[in-house]
Amino acid sequence: MLATIVLASMAGGSGAGGPPEAGEVGGPGLALLAAKILTVPYEGAQFVDHGVVLVKDGKITAIGPRAEVSIPADHRVVDLGDSWLTPGFIDLHCHSAGPSLYSGVNDLNDLVYLVNPDLRAAPSVEPHVYDMRVAIAGGITTVLYIPGSGSNIGGQGILVKTAFDRFEQNLVRNPGSMKLAQWGNPESWGPGVGMAFENWNTRNTIRRGVAYAERWKDQDPGNEKDLTFEAFRDLVARKIAFSVHTQVYQVVLMTITMIAGEFDLPVFTDHSEIGGWLAAPEALKAGVPAIVGPRTTDHVYSRGFINWARNKHEGVRGLAAGWQELGMKDIGFNTDSPVVPQEELPVQATMGVRYGMDDSGLAALRGLTIVPARAAKIDARVGSLEVGKDADILVCDGYPIDPRTTVQRVFVNGIQAYDGAREGRRW
Amino acid sequence: MARARVGAGESMTDARPLLAALLVCACRAAGSGSVVRAPLAPLTQGESGLAIVAGKVLTLDAEKQVFDPGLVLVRGDKIAYAGALTEIPAGYERLDAPDLWVHPGFVDLHTHIHAAGWHDLNDMVMPLNPGLRARPTIDPWEERLEHARAAGVTTMFGIPGSGTSLGGFGTVYKPERDAGYEEIVVRDPGGMKVAQNFNPQRSAGDLGNSWAGLAFGLEYWNDRIERRVAAGDPGVENHQFADLAKVHRGELPVLIHCASAEGVAAATRMWKLRYGTDAVITHGCWDGWRAAHYTAAAGIPINAGPRVENLTAMVRENRFVGIAHEYLKAGNELVSLNTDSPVVPEEELFLQGSWSSRMGADGYTMLAALTTHPARSFQLGERVGSLEPGKDADLVLSSGDPLDPRSRIELVIIDGRVQYSRAKDGALF
Repeated sequence: MLATIVLASMAGGSGAGGPPEAGEVGGPGLALLAAKILTVPYEGAQFVDHGVVLVKDGKITAIGPRAEVSIPADHRVVDLGDSWLTPGFIDLHCHSAGPSLYSGVNDLNDLVYLVNPDLRAAPSVEPHVYDMRVAIAGGITTVLYIPGSGSNIGGQGILVKTAFDRFEQNLVRNPGSMKLAQWGNPESWGPGVGMAFENWNTRNTIRRGVAYAERWKDQDPGNEKDLTFEAFRDLVARKIAFSVHTQVYQVVLMTITMIAGEFDLPVFTDHSEIGGWLAAPEALKAGVPAIVGPRTTDHVYSRGFINWARNKHEGVRGLAAGWQELGMKDIGFNTDSPVVPQEELPVQATMGVRYGMDDSGLAALRGLTIVPARAAKIDARVGSLEVGKDADILVCDGYPIDPRTTVQRVFVNGIQAYDGAREGRRW
Repeated sequence: MARARVGAGESMTDARPLLAALLVCACRAAGSGSVVRAPLAPLTQGESGLAIVAGKVLTLDAEKQVFDPGLVLVRGDKIAYAGALTEIPAGYERLDAPDLWVHPGFVDLHTHIHAAGWHDLNDMVMPLNPGLRARPTIDPWEERLEHARAAGVTTMFGIPGSGTSLGGFGTVYKPERDAGYEEIVVRDPGGMKVAQNFNPQRSAGDLGNSWAGLAFGLEYWNDRIERRVAAGDPGVENHQFADLAKVHRGELPVLIHCASAEGVAAATRMWKLRYGTDAVITHGCWDGWRAAHYTAAAGIPINAGPRVENLTAMVRENRFVGIAHEYLKAGNELVSLNTDSPVVPEEELFLQGSWSSRMGADGYTMLAALTTHPARSFQLGERVGSLEPGKDADLVLSSGDPLDPRSRIELVIIDGRVQYSRAKDGALF
């Protein structure tokens, strides 16, 4: 922790050697004034009009209407005028925080074994990739960088911020998740692998992992440490969740009943596409969030032997709307970057609304912030603008779900990580 | 006009940048007191008419008038009235749409979806084809036209591809349902298609494939036809050259595929400055915007797309460039947008406006770039592109700001007939 703080102050926006700037760790406080602050906590009031956010040592220390928050004398006041503030966006399905398949490098799919709970995405992280420079300009401040879905259990994802050029400064949590692909890609691993075998293989591996974690609960395994199953200690302690590549009703259902039900471990469904929303009642009961994307619709007409569109009159089925109509509240969005470019994460939410999601309660914005933060169990640090959380703040010229709105500035850990006016637009 | 924003305390999920800007326009128009209206005539027996009472009417006329709420009268296939609420004359069927916005149908000057197959778009035998017409390739029942009309695209210029230097003559038509060629055609030949550079270099027939070769080919025919037109030579009126002669007489416009700054400048120099034709730059992309001051001075309209941004500027100079924005900044007035469908699907024409707006262009101007600008650029301004009495009744009823992807098109009317209804036909995209 101390090392992180030292690095943060060294690599801050003030440049090498300079004193830390307002808002940064070790610097004076920062007061951001804005016309509208979309705070989006999980519960309670979702916004503040004519508000102020106080930032000190990289954390939010106060937030509220200007009349109610007194700004300490040593705080630097930045009046952002008509701008809107929102929490930084979070993408729980990212493959571009390092060399991606599109750059001709395959460091995300190790296809030797079908289950790899021991493999980590961490060694592939490359903080300098251009994708992340555009990501930060688009307001995506935290990503879950995960192995691909070429194998049944791809390995451990890592939660990183996108702003900085040092791995340690970006690190949020490692492992950040356990990546599972229950079906619908691992088949390409080898001949004869199908839904039933993949389910058994997953179940058997998790069973062994849980047994290992239970055995060494609250004690150091010492020489008995088994790297294959070490991450299960974090899963059983509910520090991280399974992120599960899913689509179609059966696979979503198996994910819910097996991981949340049988093993009682934290999990969220990823992709959640192609009729996956039909399992919303079960997901709701088990408290499993749905992270939707990169598809935003089931563009399937009501014909053929699988009625994915469920005989809706309209041939286009909005996925987020499908989950929402069946009662799901925790609906997030992803890009599967670079499948959809990382910076277009908010557009995924826009399309969710276009295809029927009710955004009157800011569901679309919540799907980019507090919902993924909770799903990944990092909501104590990020996902909303609340006292005590990281000062990951976007300054926008309007409601960010409107794609004509642009992100003007980005603060991460209280450090100004992007300034469109000074650096020029990248997105 | 600066990009206006909804302020604090107003609707949050409905932040419509157009709204505030348009209100300003509306107030200005209403306050000017210059609008004089003739009494509205009732329908005569046997005539049909539709009176649309809408939450907002965007006329896209020269005064940028917006009526909030407003009334549009459709009499037969023409617009009889578009303005403030007033008494509806006798005989009109009334359509109440208090939550909807009405605006003109979209006009796309660069489309290729009239023919089912790519092989019918480019006749690749000769490099210069002034005698070819797209007409025989137009298929009014082509499936993609269903999506076009559902997206509010009501006038399209269907053109040959850019495989050859002078591809031939396109057709201006409306993607109407259950109608044959004669019913949907607006103008045929609608205008000429030229590919000034790049694509025809791949296969330029027997002329070689340099810019010099292409320019020589075009000037060779242009010089001859220009001289013969000037001399009143009746021999020019044959099936090979008659249409090209119309271009030289200013009777037909010409759409010029070009890209890069030098390509845009060369096309402007040849077609606008040298031959004085009614030319329009299409694409104008990559770094074509670097010639924007040149095109503005020449007064040549720009039809930008399917690219709406210049990525090389980002890579080379760390400069974020929205193409329409750059042309507008340099003083170009008639800037319009295209899809080059199917390169960008025809139904995403409105998104070209959304994205150009995201990249800096003003929202209202981008709506004009989809309606009145392309119409006026291409000798179509008398018929389509704005809601004004006497113009074709091509209009769209949208659930909100048409450039906001969260809005939905509810009704599309072409020539006074309902061509798409979301309630009846469902959302197609």
